[in-house]
Amino acid sequence: MERGREGDRWRPPRGRHRLPREVVTRSQRERLLDAAVRVVAEKGYGAMTIGDLTREAGVSRTTFYELFEDKQQCFLAAYDNAVEALVRRVTAAYESAGEWPERAAAGLAALLETLAEEPDLARLSLVDIGNAGPAAQRRYRAAVQRLTPLFEEGRDYAAGGRALPANTSRMAIGGVAGLIADELLAGRAEQLPELLPELMFATFVPYLGPRAATEEMRRTAAG
Amino acid sequence: MYNCVYMVDKAALSGVIEKERLPAGREELAEPLVAHSQRERILVAMAESCAARGFNATTIADICEPAGVSRATFYELFKDKEDCFGAAMEVALADAMGRVLSAYSPDKPWATMVRDAAAELLDLLSRRPAFARMALVEAPAGGDRAFELYASGKRVLQSLLDRGREDPVEEEAIPSSAGRAALSGAESLIVGQILADNAERLRELLPDVVYITTVPYLGQEEALRQSREAERLPGAMPPRPPGG
Repeated sequence: MERGREGDRWRPPRGRHRLPREVVTRSQRERLLDAAVRVVAEKGYGAMTIGDLTREAGVSRTTFYELFEDKQQCFLAAYDNAVEALVRRVTAAYESAGEWPERAAAGLAALLETLAEEPDLARLSLVDIGNAGPAAQRRYRAAVQRLTPLFEEGRDYAAGGRALPANTSRMAIGGVAGLIADELLAGRAEQLPELLPELMFATFVPYLGPRAATEEMRRTAAG
Repeated sequence: MYNCVYMVDKAALSGVIEKERLPAGREELAEPLVAHSQRERILVAMAESCAARGFNATTIADICEPAGVSRATFYELFKDKEDCFGAAMEVALADAMGRVLSAYSPDKPWATMVRDAAAELLDLLSRRPAFARMALVEAPAGGDRAFELYASGKRVLQSLLDRGREDPVEEEAIPSSAGRAALSGAESLIVGQILADNAERLRELLPDVVYITTVPYLGQEEALRQSREAERLPGAMPPRPPGG
């Protein structure tokens, strides 16, 4: 991976400086969060040490422990950051377009583009989160469920939506997340946008059935 | 790829299981109270410790004490903690695959077979919550061997769903990933229930699982009919006849 890459974030000049302490701390914290994303992408959550984080971020161990209790807390903070940005972008795309199939397709496209742009973040959000213990797993599930409206609206759109099983949208989301995770595990993060038609099918089929799902998939892809 | 069409070919599925090197049905999960051999007691203790504190936090002592064996005995039977985890996963998978196979019958239509296999699996998971958590929460995040075992079990189930493709009621170009997506959807619902400490109620998810796994191939109307039928099944599968 891109070891030693200069982060995009601004960092205070080395040596003595007069920046307010709060500004320095915030930037140290952000650097540690960026470092967590890079280190997890490189060696996985299990193998990541506090030493990796402080080296990558260029902060001292003491600073690390002033900001975080342990590596899990740092990882989860990085995770929350990533998810927040992702959900905001997907929701904005979803809310922009007309009827449910178009809206859902726009949301899914934004999801795939965001993940493809930042493969490290993608892996952290969808794959490595599973390795960071039950607290992290619950965090992941809560994040994924924030995308529920994008799916649940399919119930109102579909003619027989009310008759569908209670957990339909949860399973539809799980299917989409599973297909994305499989691509990431296969090291195909950059190609994620190509997955859009399949994700559309997985999203539409429980609500519309296979025939309409295929039609919507073709129509939306063409339009 | 599969030459068997609507009726399911048991030999073909056995072949898939064999190809994945899963010892289907050769070993069944021991009930904790009757786990008689030291090895069985260790495997049960391993699963239970994983459920209680997770694999990473599990120590050899956490396994030996409830199993009532010495450290020396543990190391006679297993190389290390990972080795023991792998063995516990193998037993769990062997049992699961044996049950999937037991749902087969040459005259059963695909949808009925999927329903019965799902019922068997949910039944197994709800009766053995510790193993459920080990296999579906710990293993996917575990070491290479554990992950490979988990992945191979999933591939078997996926090949079972993919057979629905051989007889699609609605002739459309269904993406090849449809079965994989349906399986992930069902798995995600199940894992959510396990993480919420509701594993013993997993069997109630059968109608949902039947719907999501059959709808891509049968269409909505028929998948809903199958799902409602699953709802009317007795809460647990009747015990298998002796030798069955």
